[in-house]
Amino acid sequence: MCAKWYLGTGAQNDVVINTSIHLARNLKTCPFPARLNLPEKLKVNSIIKGAADSIQDYSFNYAEMKTLSQAEVVSLAERHLVSPEFASSRDGRALLLTEDESVSIMLNEEDHIRLQVMYAGFALDEAYRTASIIEKELSSKLDFAFDDRLGYLTQDPTALGTGMKASVVLHLPALVSTSQITKLITTVSKLGLSLRGSYGEGAAAKGDLFRLSNTITLGISERAAIENLKSIALQIAAQERSAREELFKAPVTEDRIYRAYGVLKYARLIDTSEFMDLISLVRLGAVKGIINMDCAQIEALMIHMQPATISLSVDRPLDRTERDKLRAKLVRQTL
Amino acid sequence: MICQNCNKNDATLHMKRIINGRAAEVHLCSDCARSLGYGEAFSGFGLGFGHLLGELLSSNENGSANSMRCPACGKSFEEIAEDGKMGCAECYAVFYDRLLPTLNKIHGKTSYMGTKPQTSGNSAAPSISLDELKNALSEAIERQDFELAASLRDQINELVREGGAL
Repeated sequence: MCAKWYLGTGAQNDVVINTSIHLARNLKTCPFPARLNLPEKLKVNSIIKGAADSIQDYSFNYAEMKTLSQAEVVSLAERHLVSPEFASSRDGRALLLTEDESVSIMLNEEDHIRLQVMYAGFALDEAYRTASIIEKELSSKLDFAFDDRLGYLTQDPTALGTGMKASVVLHLPALVSTSQITKLITTVSKLGLSLRGSYGEGAAAKGDLFRLSNTITLGISERAAIENLKSIALQIAAQERSAREELFKAPVTEDRIYRAYGVLKYARLIDTSEFMDLISLVRLGAVKGIINMDCAQIEALMIHMQPATISLSVDRPLDRTERDKLRAKLVRQTL
Repeated sequence: MICQNCNKNDATLHMKRIINGRAAEVHLCSDCARSLGYGEAFSGFGLGFGHLLGELLSSNENGSANSMRCPACGKSFEEIAEDGKMGCAECYAVFYDRLLPTLNKIHGKTSYMGTKPQTSGNSAAPSISLDELKNALSEAIERQDFELAASLRDQINELVREGGAL
């Protein structure tokens, strides 16, 4: 098995966990997914799969969602490889996925094609470059729905234009604990961007992980949207760093980090929510050099400890207590 | 705050919707938000809830009962306004003028500035030929979709009239 993208270490990784670029595209000659019946959807899947298979530098595994178990599909959503919406209804939908999981293409989600490129750390330019290469390859085989005035046409008219959503996932424990996050969310929304919990919403975001994305897709080029996102992301990262410095002036911060580490190291039962709260503190400590742990290791743990993903590591369904027990055991082993 | 739907969990999704000047607040926990179809960050291209968009679309209509349907996929503007979803690429061309006010409201400006596909140069201006319409008409009759057939017949007549005037 080849190394997954999240096992790498990226730039700015004290704050920026990962970067993703999404592109929405539709075939010109087929009705949008909501207008297709099952055989038509399967036909669209096979047309796009054919085009993806001809791309030389990338090889994709193809899976019809119907052939996967519920836990497998939810795990894909927990790993952010498919959307929760995609996981909720599996008929006629399929996924193209590279071995390292850095490139995924959802077929027949809200649009015929939802291409996603995901890299560790702060890598907007690299992720966009990869996404454009794959998009170009696909467009040399497929005729995309496009209009000179409106750009790429999508099923949802609010998404048309570039059809691009660029995101960075930020770890913002200091901005959360100093209560600056709510104000930041409001400010960012005025700048044509959105900041929301990566797992869970608003101030209740699990693990203090937030996704910063562009929301404007028309009247702005992909390049300009990315530059805008980049500059805001770097400003937020700088704010988080200075908030961390303030936070570490109080001895209680170090104490909380060690306590979190202690609980993770010795707990016998731990649920997702508690795990995410504690691992967030541990990550803060690891970045500071207090805790001797690699960030990539922590990120991998955050992904592997989600409920459905953890159930997949054993070959049978687990009840809640069994899952919490297994989670505690796996966390102990890693720490 | 407690979720309005299950009255059990803490609400983590707080939303203010303003529809035709009336504000309504929604507070939901993440489970209920998901089950009620409010997408999460991943699916958040644009607004993400069709109904809200639908209300925006229909608010631009002056009650004009126009039952024209897209000849490519058969969807009417009323149906688009209902679920907020376009039926196919051709819908944008067929309903362009009626969509424009809403697109302006959503996107602010409507001129596209992004990259173009290699085979560019197509436009949403109506580009359906008489033959295509006639084919669609006979298919609709075969399927006994008389509503679509009637709409197609009107469009064919219109095209023929325009052609005759030239």
